[in-house]
Amino acid sequence: MFRHIFIYRLKVLMKNKSMLFWTLIFPIALATFFKLSLGGLVEQGTFRAINVVVVEQVRQDGFMDIMESLSTGDEPLFNMTVLDMDAAEARLEDEEVAAIITVNETIGMTVNQSGFGQSIVKSFLDQYNNTADAVSTILAINPSAHESIANDLRSRVTYTMEEPITDSKMDITLNYFYALIAMASLYGGFFGVEEVNNIQANLSVHAARVNVAPVHKLKAFLYSTSASFLIQYSEMLVFLAYLRYILNVDFGDRFGLILVTTFVGSLVGLSLGAFVSALLKSNEDVKTGILIGMTMTGAFLAGMMFGDMKYIVQTKFPIVAILNPVNLLSDAYYSLYFYDDYVRYSQNIVILLIFSFVFCAATYMIIRRRKYASL
Amino acid sequence: MPVFNLCLKILKKNLPVMSIYFGVFIMVSFIMMSNASGSQTGYSDVKTDIAILADEESVLIDGLKTSLSDVANFIEIGDERSQIQDALYFRRVGYVLRIPSGFTEEFLAGGTPTLSKTVVPGSNSSMYIDMNIEQYLNTARLYANAMPEMPLDELTEAVLGNLSQDTKVSMLSSERIYGEQGMMQYYFNYLAYTFMFVLILGISVIMLVFNDLSIKRRNACSPISASKINFQFYLANMLFTFVSWIILVSVSLAFGHKELSSPNTWYFIFNSLLFALTASGIGFFIGNLVKGREAISAVANSFTLGTCFISGVFVPQVLLGEGVLRLASFFPTYWYVKANAQIAGITNHSWSNLNGVGNTFLVQLGFAAAFFVLAMVVGKRKQMAVEEE
Repeated sequence: MFRHIFIYRLKVLMKNKSMLFWTLIFPIALATFFKLSLGGLVEQGTFRAINVVVVEQVRQDGFMDIMESLSTGDEPLFNMTVLDMDAAEARLEDEEVAAIITVNETIGMTVNQSGFGQSIVKSFLDQYNNTADAVSTILAINPSAHESIANDLRSRVTYTMEEPITDSKMDITLNYFYALIAMASLYGGFFGVEEVNNIQANLSVHAARVNVAPVHKLKAFLYSTSASFLIQYSEMLVFLAYLRYILNVDFGDRFGLILVTTFVGSLVGLSLGAFVSALLKSNEDVKTGILIGMTMTGAFLAGMMFGDMKYIVQTKFPIVAILNPVNLLSDAYYSLYFYDDYVRYSQNIVILLIFSFVFCAATYMIIRRRKYASL
Repeated sequence: MPVFNLCLKILKKNLPVMSIYFGVFIMVSFIMMSNASGSQTGYSDVKTDIAILADEESVLIDGLKTSLSDVANFIEIGDERSQIQDALYFRRVGYVLRIPSGFTEEFLAGGTPTLSKTVVPGSNSSMYIDMNIEQYLNTARLYANAMPEMPLDELTEAVLGNLSQDTKVSMLSSERIYGEQGMMQYYFNYLAYTFMFVLILGISVIMLVFNDLSIKRRNACSPISASKINFQFYLANMLFTFVSWIILVSVSLAFGHKELSSPNTWYFIFNSLLFALTASGIGFFIGNLVKGREAISAVANSFTLGTCFISGVFVPQVLLGEGVLRLASFFPTYWYVKANAQIAGITNHSWSNLNGVGNTFLVQLGFAAAFFVLAMVVGKRKQMAVEEE
């Protein structure tokens, strides 16, 4: 019996184009959009030489020498042009430069907005002005200190030393893709909706027919659901392969566990769909709509549309992060990539398994022993 | 008006699905609002989030914290490796500074002890904080070497006194507004996603019904003239577009209520009206193209999400690659988002300032016309194909 139901179910499902679209083509399309649009995000916050204009109203060779040396070399701080005030203001207006540095008796700056570039320029000018202040304060107290000062000024000391924490790249776009995989896994819920609709006699004609057949209802349900699961899991593997080998998304090297995570994800998706479908008596459109809505909300909170969301939720509403299967699943991929230990990974997987157990149990409670004298 | 009523009935049936998308929009805006930074005008230093893990306390270290408090917000994070890593990955903090014990003592003795930092490599914030830390410590070194007998608390006070002198910053134009005050453009940007989806779904669902061959034939022999049917059909769709527009714009305005008084608000509203026009044109076009209910939702979702992503609704346009933006410029969403950004940048309402926005408006109008024409062409061809059968 298993073979019969399983194989025919498989054939039916393979012909369901809209299902294949939602569970495979749509995630692939989204992943491609992500790849196209998120490239710049990697660059965001990365330091690049700041464009500044210097307007030299009074000659200050010392300052200009410093500016010159900071604007050259391998990793320059500034990208400097020297112009007169009118030209400089035009550049600033067009946002071609971050700031105008005005060299007068004192050094000042003009900006058009606040931002990192502007603040770094200001920190640099503060540094220049404050050091001069400090020197005059010290000389006022101890006029004989000029030698020690000259020494110190010649050799600035670097007190901070970088201690890298991970070899993995801090690529913030990875989380977008992980959330996307989680979303695709939960879209497996469409199969769940379909399966319940095909077994509950009051939901479809097909189900009414199946119910009069001399097959145990739960067995029939399990058999056909395994066909759904097989398709869902295979689609997810295709999707993972697409991400890994076509879009070059990095997953780390623990392939076995990535497959396990994907397996659990498919399970949660399928059982969630079955649960929604069993719980609601409304037509399939509404069920699908609700499933999409839930998944999309979850995906949003897990940072799929807006990366910061994940940590906002994680830090401000941790309970939401724990109750959101999309977040748990994407976090599982994230922990596999970044952490050497398995504490956080196992936490995620355990909660996900609890979720799918609850969904399965609830579905079972709802659909068991429903008999209809007439429909 | 039977046709009109039928249209409304069809829309009503699809209300639950659409309301989900309205819900998504409200939620996105709400979360963005709660995350918005405080409003500000004029210049202020960027404050970046850092964490300090100190193994020792001293007056010198306290002074460092005081000096950094101008450029940094101190965030408490756990001292475990995974917590530090998480905080950095999600940019909860951009800089983790560890102060080893014995630092102050070695520093005052004239040595060069080091503070270890863990940062997002090559980031702005690490550069920024580095500059400020080095400046504090190097200034302290000047004092310590010049006057070794100076007590530590006096030294720290003198250093902080020097460092508190800020470079004078002037603003080119003082009217530009930032932070929470500049949020209106984003609420209007997010609106694009829901608006386009709902319009495509609603309009094409109605068209699907009317394009059904049997219904078409039945309608053709009804006592209502074709032009009346068309009129009522368009009226219903216009009403639908208008109501969705009112709802979405009111939500956007409600979220951005703090900047309602800005004259730019009217431009935002006008821009969204243009977008309504284009989106409904796309709705008609897609409605004429697709054949089944399921296909509608597939096309509506892919088209809406795809265009929103590459056009900068979710990810700001400045972060998108040039090639992507060029691709996006073939879709009206790109121009809608661009217009919003241009409107947000308007400070004085001179003609030259409005000129740029005006062009963007025109491009959108062109898109709307193009989609309506396309829809009509496809619709006509379909109709002729049916007549030949």
